[in-house]
Amino acid sequence: MKTKLKSSVGMMLLAAGLWGAAVAASATEIVVIVNPKNPATRMFSEQAAQFFLGKSTLFTPVERNDGAAIRTEFYQKVLNKDATQVKAIWSKLVFTGKGAAPKEYASSADVKKAVAADVSAIGYIEKSAVDDSVKVILTVQ
Amino acid sequence: MKHPKLTSLAFAALAACAMSVHAEDGSAVTISGFGTGALTGTNTDNAEYARPNQAAGVKKNPGFGVDSNFGVQVTDKWSDTISFTAQGLVRKDGSNNAFTGDLAWAFAKYKFNDDFSFRVGRIGLPIYMISDFRNVGYANTMLRPPDEVYRQVSLDNVDGADVVYQHSFDDTTLTAQFAAGHGKVDSPGPYEVQYHPVTALNVVVENGPFSFRLGRADAHFTVENYASLTTLVATVKTYGIGALAPDLTIDDVKGSFTSLGMTMDYKNFLIQSEYAKRKTESRLVPDTTSWYAMFGYRIGKFTPYYNYATVKQDSITSYATLPTAGPLAPLTAAIDGAITTGLRSTNTLGVRWDFYKSAALKVQFDRVKLKDGTAGSFLNPTPGFSGPVNVYAAAIDFVF
Repeated sequence: MKTKLKSSVGMMLLAAGLWGAAVAASATEIVVIVNPKNPATRMFSEQAAQFFLGKSTLFTPVERNDGAAIRTEFYQKVLNKDATQVKAIWSKLVFTGKGAAPKEYASSADVKKAVAADVSAIGYIEKSAVDDSVKVILTVQ
Repeated sequence: MKHPKLTSLAFAALAACAMSVHAEDGSAVTISGFGTGALTGTNTDNAEYARPNQAAGVKKNPGFGVDSNFGVQVTDKWSDTISFTAQGLVRKDGSNNAFTGDLAWAFAKYKFNDDFSFRVGRIGLPIYMISDFRNVGYANTMLRPPDEVYRQVSLDNVDGADVVYQHSFDDTTLTAQFAAGHGKVDSPGPYEVQYHPVTALNVVVENGPFSFRLGRADAHFTVENYASLTTLVATVKTYGIGALAPDLTIDDVKGSFTSLGMTMDYKNFLIQSEYAKRKTESRLVPDTTSWYAMFGYRIGKFTPYYNYATVKQDSITSYATLPTAGPLAPLTAAIDGAITTGLRSTNTLGVRWDFYKSAALKVQFDRVKLKDGTAGSFLNPTPGFSGPVNVYAAAIDFVF
């Protein structure tokens, strides 16, 4: 179902050409969100990346499910890594007993719920999915 | 470390935890695992190639024993501050040449605050830069840790405690760990090495693609039940060359291991390197300097890599005062042999292929050159074995 949807989006992009692609890209703009009670107000990509790569445990990362398009894009744009690299990094942390891999959620709505429920959580969703339950601290360029 | 009783207890505990996952809905027990299935062979039948602390290795006929392993880890998060972790590891290690299970870790962790945590139980000892995950092939670029450095201390874990401090200063993360305890290594020979006590300091600074590490371990160790060594030391005393005896002790020896390391993971470039010095007060455990440097370049799912590793001996390899001719010559040869460690250098070429989301295939070629007339840590060398030796290996690493 999801892959079908994705590939039809891909077809549309191809069909619509460059102009269409630009519009579609802005439509899936990614934002990094935290709990509204979190004192942080703004963050650089490099700082956000630290949590998702397990380099800092100050905030608790909330992940999307493996294979989600937004996750691939987030890894590319914010972590500058591909999925296997990130997997290898977390396997280091998990098997050193230093950290547990982030919990994964199947939709942006679930990520939002998890972030809204945990003061120290940090997640990423589509800009269009943002509401008052979370606070945006970074818009991914 | 072989503690059969503890091991079976650990597996019972693992099984019990596994069951509680199903029993309690929403329980905080996580089970994860890793493994490597590898086939290793060489181009010689004159000596066996083995990892450190293995009782037997492979020759021309390839075998699974050298590089294969399987580990399961269970973590039970009690609360935000308290968790329990156990890791069982199956591999060929120690005095018997068979796959055996060890309880690698079993510790309770208490998180004081965001910066400090405290662990007690059986913990991994941070001797080397990749000590904690060296058995997890998937987490490493190379097929196996460079032998030249990773053979210098074979103690993996201790029963004791450690404290970890981790703090981020802007985009730099500092991690400092101090561990203390005692441990035992069941070695081929067979003999045992008791570390009582051992302390280890591990400081890591990470910034973006770079990470730098300083490690320092200090120990008092005793080699037990090493029949040939005990006989040799006794013989030295009998022949009135007892002046050497303090040099040749294996009882409560003071030793240290100091190492520097760095990694870089910048765009497609990978660098990993360590430099280490081993120092002990006994010439039977020679002083060494060892290092390696690995370079890799990521091309999509493929990561070709090259590594160079070498070890040299810093303490003397022979006693000038001992006779090399006459009736005592064999004893001199035995003593000189005992105070010399396996010296060698290795050029390694390999490629890692991330063919599946949680599995990687590695193919690695090593060319091992022996140095200074030693057998370079190869096992059961035939007289006149001199190398160089080609080592071939293919492995599949996975995590779950």
